[in-house]
Amino acid sequence: MTRSLRGGQAGYFFVAGYVVLLVAFGIVPTAYAFYLAFTNDRGQFTGLNQFVKVIGDYRFAPAFAHVAVYLVLWLVLLLILTVGIAVVLRGRMRPGLSATLRFLYYVPGALAGVASVLVWLFMLDPSVSPASGLLRALGFDTFSQVIAPENLPLVFVLIAFWTGAGGWIVVMYGALNNIPDEILEAARIDGAGPWKSALFVQIPMISRWIAYMAILAFAGGTQLFVEPQMLQTASLGRLDPAWSPNQLAYVLAFRYGDFNGAAAVSLILLVLGLLCAGLLVRRSGLFKVDA
Amino acid sequence: MKQRLILTATLAALAALAGCASADSTAAPTGPASFTPAPQNDAATVTVWTDSTRLASVQAYQKSHPDKKLNIVTYDGSADGSTYLQTKVQLFDRTGSGWPDVVFASPTDVTWASAPTGPNAQAFAAPLNQGLVPQPTLDNFAKGSLSPCEFNGQVYCLRNDIAQVVAWYNAKLFKDFGYAVPKTWQEYQALGAKVAKEHPGYLLGAVGDTNSHESYFWSSQCPAFSLTGPTTLRTDLQDPNCTRMATLLDSMIANGSVSKEAFFGQNFAQARGSKVLMAIGPSWHGQYLFNAAFKTPAGQIGAATPLAWDGDPTVATGNVGGAVWMVSSHSANLKTSTDLVSWLTTSDENQAGAPTYPAYAPAAKAWLANPKNSQYFASDVSPAFQAAASAVWPGWSNTRFSDATAWSSVVLPAVTAGKTLTATLPAWQTAIENEAKAAGYTIAAR
Amino acid sequence: MTTNLSSTRPARALGIGVVALLLALLVVFFALPVAWLLLAPTKTASELVSAGPFSFGGFGNLATAWRNLTSFEDGVIFVWLKNSAIYSAGSLVLTLATSVPAGYALALTKFRGRGLLLSVTLLVMIMPSATLVLPLFLELNKLGLIGTVWSVVLPFSFFPFGVYLVYIYFATSLPAEMLEAARIDGAGEWRTFTAIALPLARPVVALVAFFSFVGNWNNFFLPYLVLPSSQQFPIQVGLNQLLSTTPSFNPVAGAGLNITSPELALSIIIAVLPVLVVFLFSQRALVSGMLAGATKG
Repeated sequence: MTRSLRGGQAGYFFVAGYVVLLVAFGIVPTAYAFYLAFTNDRGQFTGLNQFVKVIGDYRFAPAFAHVAVYLVLWLVLLLILTVGIAVVLRGRMRPGLSATLRFLYYVPGALAGVASVLVWLFMLDPSVSPASGLLRALGFDTFSQVIAPENLPLVFVLIAFWTGAGGWIVVMYGALNNIPDEILEAARIDGAGPWKSALFVQIPMISRWIAYMAILAFAGGTQLFVEPQMLQTASLGRLDPAWSPNQLAYVLAFRYGDFNGAAAVSLILLVLGLLCAGLLVRRSGLFKVDA
Repeated sequence: MKQRLILTATLAALAALAGCASADSTAAPTGPASFTPAPQNDAATVTVWTDSTRLASVQAYQKSHPDKKLNIVTYDGSADGSTYLQTKVQLFDRTGSGWPDVVFASPTDVTWASAPTGPNAQAFAAPLNQGLVPQPTLDNFAKGSLSPCEFNGQVYCLRNDIAQVVAWYNAKLFKDFGYAVPKTWQEYQALGAKVAKEHPGYLLGAVGDTNSHESYFWSSQCPAFSLTGPTTLRTDLQDPNCTRMATLLDSMIANGSVSKEAFFGQNFAQARGSKVLMAIGPSWHGQYLFNAAFKTPAGQIGAATPLAWDGDPTVATGNVGGAVWMVSSHSANLKTSTDLVSWLTTSDENQAGAPTYPAYAPAAKAWLANPKNSQYFASDVSPAFQAAASAVWPGWSNTRFSDATAWSSVVLPAVTAGKTLTATLPAWQTAIENEAKAAGYTIAAR
Repeated sequence: MTTNLSSTRPARALGIGVVALLLALLVVFFALPVAWLLLAPTKTASELVSAGPFSFGGFGNLATAWRNLTSFEDGVIFVWLKNSAIYSAGSLVLTLATSVPAGYALALTKFRGRGLLLSVTLLVMIMPSATLVLPLFLELNKLGLIGTVWSVVLPFSFFPFGVYLVYIYFATSLPAEMLEAARIDGAGEWRTFTAIALPLARPVVALVAFFSFVGNWNNFFLPYLVLPSSQQFPIQVGLNQLLSTTPSFNPVAGAGLNITSPELALSIIIAVLPVLVVFLFSQRALVSGMLAGATKG
């Protein structure tokens, strides 16, 4: 792309406000996290000792294991269902029905965060839930049975899917809409049925957006905090207070005053998140920057 | 697990090679903390954090003292092992402002509030014996009831209520069924077997509450949380005093006479409240659980002295909560703050009608004499209450971490999933030891 | 679509049936909780257990729930809503004021460090932001901002995704030649921006505003950490406070309060209402925004 760019000094003026915020709330906290993670509360350099300490903490492995299980379930469900449904909605269906369905799937997105957890506290309590019949059929007679430790990742996936999937279905639908009709027509002439054309034409053509969704969903998933924190409150402590890594960091910082250990946990999360994002970005060719 | 070990070992080796400083946090300074009051202003607004149960009491103080300016905030009251107060005080200590003047809290909170949270902080709780509350008033609290408040010879809180565990029973149901109220745990267990057979569905207790372990295992003198020194904790759940209670409860859970659910669970009151024949629980169960939650009519509920063990001469019982009021050492209006906590804990005006049994002895007399209390119960509860109050086993220490966390997050889910308490004891032990180590305790040999 | 010759009729019917069933199940999954929530405040706490989950209780109950909720700590819920509005609106203004010029400059002007700035923006964009909350807390503390409005508004205003959206928009839909013409006509850089670029940027401004507002209104972690007093809470943190003092979920702490399940349900509805309204009109914005986010012109 050739474009004559001009501006010189004016460019600095335009980006100044943003750069101040970027430095203050993006770069400085990151640098500060690094500083904290490699020192102790007396400011002495500790090398990797903070990492050794938090990795050896009895809550570290369970917290990361919980989130790993959650992430696998969440990403698989999200990728398969959102893409699958978007393909179906884009396919043979009356436009009005398709739009209505997309809207219905999308509305719970407004209840993200605390509100969604509260709603699901009711949905998962067999005594008030509209799905109590289903819950009881599955062998859950009380709320405490529903939130048994082995069910928790699934519970959080349900909540995340309920608020998040609709938006992504709409986005994937939009991406599919961008595929020129001629391409689909050509595939059809070549004898591809709806499944084949979805698998070999449509999905590969929106792979960028799928990768993008995976990155954001992954980054969001590693940050799990509100959901377990609120469920812990609502279940009167039946959850480990450090169920997720973010909660562990929070507990370390605010219960024990150990901000250095907390920073080490945060950095581990950050590096994991960036590694995965980096991998996907490289593989999918997202975000090519022309400098 | 193995990989983690290798990883940890590698990292440790690397760090050792680099010769780096230790990652441990600076130990909190011990010994009496200096207490520098903020500049005082007797007209300053006093911010009160209370749980919603005590909200009415604080509002009543406001009504009878219209000249005092109060800002009343409700919060979870540190119930069920909540660390809300602790985390917020950490935050205020960092920001240097914002502390509430008066807080309603759990005895666990006093363990950290009586010491500074960091090198530059001042302990949150003000030592009340330093010219704030007169010594005669402190002396009037029931014997031992202020011990959770006492550190290094200072008194950091006033006890709101004592929560000695008694044996609650529904006198009407006992009469209808023709049963005798058990006096020992063995009789309790035998009655359980009988109830399971003759009146299935009726309950002699429940273990699913966040504090059920304090009703049962504390009463059984189980050394789960025994501080053998200021920073040394001994936990031995394989002690016969623990296993006897676990076995007993397992058999009763198995036959259905003790519920795995929580008395205070979301729908317990509606579903099974009228089927509670007995409850091993604190003094506040009377007004709080039977009257307010289960809506059991007056004249049915009685309290019996704590159960004994056949062949064990010591009668001991547990304690469930028994909250405290603390005054912030940062308060700009210590006078009003102290006046408020004194009024709340010691005045007959407030305590005689309280839902819980007052720790202040004169107020406790007024509480027992209050027709509202005496009329609700089937018989006089004072003998049982007084006997239990002096029988609280002192071997269950007030630690820097809540004893409810491990019980709620490790034991209860396992029991809900069908495991026996006996089989869960090792996991509980590990959880307690882990928490203790994280809170800075060393673990004593069993 | 034309008839698909490669599959047999019964198999196709079965396929359609399965797909239809799946779509219907998802409608149930997504919509029923919302319907339940909207009906919940019209019932009493015990009706919620006994009555049909989708029955309508009565306006009297709704009024009672409203009264109980608004009398909680002297109507603190209104304070929380006002706080949320201030935090979201304040940061929205700052976000727009910084991200629109920045995106414009990244797309259409040339300056040293432009590539670097763009790369850093992308990196920060995909960084899990919650991991930075703790160091951010310490930094705000050093600056003496903890407990002030700024401790929430300023970090909220930093919105790299918004900058990226504006950058993509200008890079793809504003021909550099147009600016060139303006510059030749003697317009200064500032005039070129305000007179030519800004009027064209209306769609992307709306887009950034949508994402910023929704994200900030729903944010929980940062305000939960940096705001100590309940008088400063935004509604999301307030809801958590309400939950922990609610008898149905915390019977020990909540006894004596009138905040039960219907009041809680009503509070959820009130809390999400502004976002819900924005949502109802912004499906298209979401699509174009997210697609732009993943693409590059």
